[in-house]
Amino acid sequence: MTLPSILPDVALLALAALLLLAGLAGNEKSERLAFPAAIGGTALLFLLSLLVQPSPEKFLGCWSVTPAGLHFRQLFLFATLLVEAFARSYFRRGGDGKGPLERGSEFLATLHLVLLGAFAVVSVDNLLALFVGLELATIPLYCLVAWRAGDRRGGEAAVKYVVMGAGASCFDLFSFSYLYGLAGSLDFGAVATRVASIQDGSGSSGLLRVAVAALFAGVGFKLTIFPFQMWAPDVYEGAPTPVTLLLSVVSKSAAVAFLLVLMHGPLAPALAKTQELVLLLSALTMTVGNLGAIHQRHLRRFMAYSSVAQAGFILAALVGPADRATGAALFYLFVYAATNTLAFAVFAVAGEERGETFECLRGLSRRSPALAGILAVCMFSLAGIPPVAGFVGKFFLFSSAASAGHYLFVVFAALNGTLSLYYYLHVLREAYIVPEEEGKENGALRVDPLQKVLLGCLLLAVVLLGLLPQLSDFLSR
Amino acid sequence: MSSPLLLSAIWVVPLLAAFATLFLKRDDHLAVKLVHAVCHGGNLLLAISLLVSFLAETEGALPASGTVTQLHFAMDRIWIPALNIHYNVGVDGLSMLMILLTAMIIFAGVFASWGIRDRAREFFILLDLLVAGVYGTFMSFDLFALFLFYEVAVLPMYLLIGVWGTGRKEYSAMKLTLMLVAGSALLMGGILALYFGSHLQTFDLNVLSQYPFPRSFQRLFFPILFFGFGVLSAIFPFHTWSPDGHASAPTAVSMLHAGVLMKLGGYGILRVAMYVLPEGATEWFPWLILPIAVNVAYGPFVALRQRDLKYITAYSSVSHLGLVLLGLAVCTFTGIKGSAMQMISHGLLTGLFFALIGMIYGRTHTRNVDEMGGLMKRMPFLGVSFVLAGFAGLGLPGLSGFVAESTIFLGAFENPSAVVRGCTVVAILSIVTTAVYILRAANRMLHGPLPERFGTLTDAVWNERLAVIVLLIGLFGMGLFPGWIADALDGSVAPLFNNLVRAVVP
Repeated sequence: MTLPSILPDVALLALAALLLLAGLAGNEKSERLAFPAAIGGTALLFLLSLLVQPSPEKFLGCWSVTPAGLHFRQLFLFATLLVEAFARSYFRRGGDGKGPLERGSEFLATLHLVLLGAFAVVSVDNLLALFVGLELATIPLYCLVAWRAGDRRGGEAAVKYVVMGAGASCFDLFSFSYLYGLAGSLDFGAVATRVASIQDGSGSSGLLRVAVAALFAGVGFKLTIFPFQMWAPDVYEGAPTPVTLLLSVVSKSAAVAFLLVLMHGPLAPALAKTQELVLLLSALTMTVGNLGAIHQRHLRRFMAYSSVAQAGFILAALVGPADRATGAALFYLFVYAATNTLAFAVFAVAGEERGETFECLRGLSRRSPALAGILAVCMFSLAGIPPVAGFVGKFFLFSSAASAGHYLFVVFAALNGTLSLYYYLHVLREAYIVPEEEGKENGALRVDPLQKVLLGCLLLAVVLLGLLPQLSDFLSR
Repeated sequence: MSSPLLLSAIWVVPLLAAFATLFLKRDDHLAVKLVHAVCHGGNLLLAISLLVSFLAETEGALPASGTVTQLHFAMDRIWIPALNIHYNVGVDGLSMLMILLTAMIIFAGVFASWGIRDRAREFFILLDLLVAGVYGTFMSFDLFALFLFYEVAVLPMYLLIGVWGTGRKEYSAMKLTLMLVAGSALLMGGILALYFGSHLQTFDLNVLSQYPFPRSFQRLFFPILFFGFGVLSAIFPFHTWSPDGHASAPTAVSMLHAGVLMKLGGYGILRVAMYVLPEGATEWFPWLILPIAVNVAYGPFVALRQRDLKYITAYSSVSHLGLVLLGLAVCTFTGIKGSAMQMISHGLLTGLFFALIGMIYGRTHTRNVDEMGGLMKRMPFLGVSFVLAGFAGLGLPGLSGFVAESTIFLGAFENPSAVVRGCTVVAILSIVTTAVYILRAANRMLHGPLPERFGTLTDAVWNERLAVIVLLIGLFGMGLFPGWIADALDGSVAPLFNNLVRAVVP
């Protein structure tokens, strides 16, 4: 018996609704059960997504499960699972020097709506539906950023995020309206045909250029592409840590998927012309991110700049041919989700009481050699140094760019990677080299069992994927 | 067990040692050191036995006339299918000897690090990672694997120097790491260019080397690969990480880094850049020989002004590594063979130098030669060993340095170009300067009046003697019996050279 390919999507909708109902019930029991239910449910969905087969069947006229779409579903589910597991301890014990969060079931329901939006992005073949999907993956985040009631920094971050996000949506809509005007249809196929005919010289390419530029402006916000990356540090710092993690793994993956869908879908005939723009944006984004990260002292701000730089690296892969670009981006995003969660988990433990700044890492290699070792693995993976997964991931990204002939760009990007190593090593410097301030040596670190499982599994994943990246091949069967 | 598996075991054993160390108690220094002494001792025996069977296999073989490197103990398995990456390992004479050299240095290094107490587990784990990377690089014939191992060898440096080093350790560690990783960045681009530029979709060095890359491609990517690897061999003007890094590093790390890791640069240039892009090499080397000559001639003069023993040795390394590159740059058979010998010789002698400096520093707590004196009275064993290492460094016959350097100079004169000969003359003259600073340092340290505060110093203890003797055996072994090393190298240098010649005379 083959399972209907849309089953995970429907189940996700059901899960989100269920969690929302649990939130409405509002009693203690439903709150207590929300996290196990959500984590179990997401894990089940992940398994389900591994079992179903892609099919060309269309639902509602525009929704289908393509092979690439299925892989992205697996990525989104995996990343969400990590965020939920991470969020559980935060909701119980608080973190970053602040108390626990409340309204867990509502939080989870909202989070699953983001996931549903991400699913839509990789499923639809219609510009308008694509826009709705992207919005669905963004609007719930506005609430999540301000989840801590009465927190001024959170509120400020949310306002920034809303204003920038709304502007970005305008750009997207604007771009889509031009594409619609050119093609006379919202359907991907029709747009692709029209774009191809423009490339062949019929009709003006000026409007298409405007549409592509506006598109990058719009998605640039979500993917933190220069010059639309400005919100990231403030929002990453102001939002509760699980939400920051969500922003950096799920939301970013959705944005990459969005770009891939468009660049290798309706805009594929213009790919040769968009390459230069993409490479330019990629170079600027990684440079700005890397330079910005150097002087940060707050860990989440630091991770914000690091994620800007990573976005630049991912962007570089998109110029390759469709299958290579998708494969490289997917693998890297998987690794990035695992590595980032691992890093955030270490930061959360080390900075639970003192706040997540560089200072909280001091003396970590003596207080907990294991955590310091994990941190070292994370930082080397983020910097793309072997033998951990980040290296292979980056190698795949760069090989995608190189397959389009951009060898010298690869050299430039790799040199930028050296720059990033500078600040990743600074994190290790705090953990290993800088001596701890007097009188603070005895702060015991609390790691609860779920965190231990999370840390152990992710560490194993990051190391194993670095040596045997084909372990992820079960995804690309 | 078959030899190919034994060969792979050489890089796996250090990782097993690292893994075992994870389960030892935090304060149990002795257990950590014993585990490592056993593992690296076993590895040394393994390397020797492999060398013996390698020599038996190649005994009486005719000099190779082909252009493809013949691999021994070869193993080729598909590793990452997505990019057709293979786990393709094997050795030729050069790699076999470099592996043996690495095994000797790390074995001596473990005993030279017997005094490490602070976070000993982490120290040895990082050391294991480093040395596994070095072994892997020397036996990989797949570019991806080679690059991966190469980067693994560079990576633990930051923490090793930053945590266990001395002096301006954070600055030195960061400078060293960033400069080396910047070199790797060039390599990343170069390797991907070779992969996609050849349209062969393979990382196999032997296959790529037979592909005729267009001249413009070679012209562009040869310098990228040359400087990418060259940074690690301290090519001028990218040598500045070396003195600071070596001076700040803990003893075993200086030994490994100067002794083996810096050779990865010259090895990579020979094995990858010159082998795959021979036309680029012949076109660029007449120009690149100029910075190389600066390396050779400038190192000794800077060393002359130094007072810190480690800085003296580091600058002498810059000069000796320059000789390695000079031997490659002259593009003659003898020159390349000489530079391969110089890699081995310099590995042994600089390893010994840094080991001795570490031991002397552990006693005197100063590395400044002006503050020392008369140490020969208190520590004759270390003193004599230091003088022997110095003699090898300045190329005294009977020790390894003479064999290697004279081969390089002979090879250099086989090249008729006036520029090359000019640079060679400069290089030969620089040996005089080398003699001056080595003899002067040894004289100041070992002879003259003994300062009163050094009156209670003792000579080397058992673990230190063991470390020193292993390396001394190597120095004399190579100096007195260079024949078998030269023979072992002939078979591996020939294909590389033939490939180069084919590029010049199509």
